[in-house]
Amino acid sequence: MNRTERRKSMAERRPSTTYTPNVIPQLAGLEKPQNQYLEIDNCDVLILGTGLQESILASILAWQGSQVLHIDKNNYYGDSSCTLTIEQSKKWSNEVNQGKIPHFQEAKFEVFPGGNNQGFNSKDFGIDLTPKIMFCQSDLLTFLIKSRVYRYLEFQSLSNFHVFENDDFLQKINSTTKQDIFIDKSLSLMTKRNLMKFLKFVLIESNETYKEKIKNWINKPIQEFLKNEFKLEDPQINELVYAIGLSTKQDLNTKEALIRIKRFLSSFDIYGKFPCMVSKYGGPGELSQGFCRSSAVAGGIYKLNTKLADFDPELKIGHFDDGSHIKINEKVIISSSQIPHFLQSTYNQITHNLKKNYISRLTVIVNSSSNKFIQNNESSAVLVFPPFSLEINNTTTIQCLIQNHQSEICSKGTSIWYFSTTTNKDVKINQKILQFAFEKMFNKVKIDEPNLEIIYKLQYNQETYIANNLLNVFKPTIENNIILKSNNETSPLIFTSPPSGEISYDGIMTDVINCYSQITGDDNIDLDLDSSDEEDNKENEIQQYQPIDAVTGMPRKKSSVSGGIVGGGSSTNLGALNEHAIESSDEDEDEDEEMNVNDDDDDQHQPFGVHDMEL
Amino acid sequence: MSTQSGSNERFAQFKLVLLGESAVGKSSIVHRFVKNTFDDLRESTIGAAFLTQQITIPETQTTIKFEIWDTAGQERYKSLAPMYYRNANAALCVFDITNKSSFAKAQDWIKELKKQAPEGIVIAIVGNKSDLNDEREVEQEEIENYIQEQKSEGYDIINAECSAKTGDGVLTIFDKIGRALPVDEVIESNKSRQGGGISNRRTGGVDLSRPRRQQAGQTNSCC
Repeated sequence: MNRTERRKSMAERRPSTTYTPNVIPQLAGLEKPQNQYLEIDNCDVLILGTGLQESILASILAWQGSQVLHIDKNNYYGDSSCTLTIEQSKKWSNEVNQGKIPHFQEAKFEVFPGGNNQGFNSKDFGIDLTPKIMFCQSDLLTFLIKSRVYRYLEFQSLSNFHVFENDDFLQKINSTTKQDIFIDKSLSLMTKRNLMKFLKFVLIESNETYKEKIKNWINKPIQEFLKNEFKLEDPQINELVYAIGLSTKQDLNTKEALIRIKRFLSSFDIYGKFPCMVSKYGGPGELSQGFCRSSAVAGGIYKLNTKLADFDPELKIGHFDDGSHIKINEKVIISSSQIPHFLQSTYNQITHNLKKNYISRLTVIVNSSSNKFIQNNESSAVLVFPPFSLEINNTTTIQCLIQNHQSEICSKGTSIWYFSTTTNKDVKINQKILQFAFEKMFNKVKIDEPNLEIIYKLQYNQETYIANNLLNVFKPTIENNIILKSNNETSPLIFTSPPSGEISYDGIMTDVINCYSQITGDDNIDLDLDSSDEEDNKENEIQQYQPIDAVTGMPRKKSSVSGGIVGGGSSTNLGALNEHAIESSDEDEDEDEEMNVNDDDDDQHQPFGVHDMEL
Repeated sequence: MSTQSGSNERFAQFKLVLLGESAVGKSSIVHRFVKNTFDDLRESTIGAAFLTQQITIPETQTTIKFEIWDTAGQERYKSLAPMYYRNANAALCVFDITNKSSFAKAQDWIKELKKQAPEGIVIAIVGNKSDLNDEREVEQEEIENYIQEQKSEGYDIINAECSAKTGDGVLTIFDKIGRALPVDEVIESNKSRQGGGISNRRTGGVDLSRPRRQQAGQTNSCC
């Protein structure tokens, strides 16, 4: 294959690059020798690792005309955010324990034969290493639509939320309207009234009233605010903070908690009576594949099972493990779990002072459809164990995503329970706590389903450089963010962080944009999609995606997308944190003292998607 | 996007994936089929997402819509994602009749398909560049032998030749595939799912292109 078959428009869009291969590097491949050659002797950006962030980045760069070479040391897509079969996860777990996968430790893989568990096929299961849920109002979703990657995916509604309380699992939220969000019929009239007052406050109250009300509470725990200002009681507070807010810790400050609560509430009624969605066949691993495909469609070159063996920073030549090489014109983006040996010390130096956060995960497959938790003909549910709700005195929230065969990640009659908890210290007891939570749940389900058994179990701990509240993604500095810290003029290498512990996709897009702007010096992502080949353009042209006002149900005006303290429109995800210093006791201790509620002016925050997302 | 229409007309949609060595003309065949054009300097990728094209089978009054996935070059280093094969109803394995090795490669892809693709997938092996018969390296007999061999293993593989350049035989391929697809099954299961649309859409799915409020509320939509 030769030059004439390349997309010329790509080269033209980027005049700084020339595509005149002289030396064609040889990359090992399964193809015949004459096809083992890369068609290029240089690329603009080399990306190591096909994790979600890297894959989105690859697609953006490719669509903008950059020549992207995207490789992965594994023979599958997804890197640390992949979706694995049972066999693959076994291999992965071994590799973790051999120290081959940085930032993952203490993996334990178990399958439980016997009983009626026979006949399960490894390939019928898709186990996500970092499962995530998608809020219906989020920047990544907007981008999925804009980039048309959503057409490779299928999303399913998620409306079942449960809270573990008083030794029982209570369904707190179900398919419902915003107004009926609190389904507990047994609530007193007074409590209901107080809740409605709070909902109205979060969703409708004007900026001034809002600011006035939270003025004295911003840095105080949300619990105190809800108790004092709205006379709410513990069960409702737990629901708001842990189920709706999906808060991972107890003493969350009022400001951040309200952003989280609003994120949930304003995601209702966009696509239906549910705030969240999950992607079928797997989460981030599936999205990664979609973005990689999109990148490939735009001319990105893909090669799995390939490692970078050496890199000459002077000549900017990268050598691969098969002896081939390529010139890299701009940057090399390196996933933290694919650090080549020769760069380990560089990486250690860069990450030396970065604060680590810790995530512990326990993933169990059981022979039950988990219909106790999953209702409304959905595929998934979320269950939370608030801090100190278990006898074992868990100091952090335990979140559990439950998915059954309807999500096509497990075979019929089974379901996957993904438990996780995040801490800012490496707490050895976390796996014990997760195990304890699992047993609670298991025993509870076993009452109704006496044949309940464990089929599979995978546990591991992981580290990330992303703060639990994503602050160093939304407010990145050269001190707190790995991307900014690693990028400098003398070196073309940029390192990315391992996946965060956040259960939603929030922060992903911002992380990508941070990286993109380090590469290009521009944070304006203008996707020039080539749609000329689409026969059914008209038929399938999506209705322009406009953020829907959570209260009125009317499309929001674009100019005021970030209304209110928590932002609005596509910024209603945690990106709203960006506008304000979020003081939390254990993170970023001394930052931004002139905390001022009045500094959030409507147009200050320009979330990704406001101007760039026009179709 | 109605799935059923009046009278006796029937409609079904299928996912078709392309496979084969680079440069055998996979994209060209599709473009000939979709747009009835051929570009000598065909670029090696196609546009966003995938292409679609419909055919009708007059005898059964059936309209078949193909959702066609190109490899987008990811086949070059065997880097096709599981997503590619998922829910594929048909596969078009293309080789170049003037290139013997591409025929061997097409057979490898069929092996791969048997491992990765859903059971019951309709497979077609197609020799492209029939306009270059003088330079033919793959003889009909060889192909026929392969087809028979597959048949003895229980695989009914559709065989055809075409020229994306002249357009000869292109439509026939899709017609053959269309007739081999389980149309009745899909229409039946769509009916039982209350007009579920695409064959592989199940319950609980969300159509991201249609925010609910907008759908119900405004009529000011785009054309």
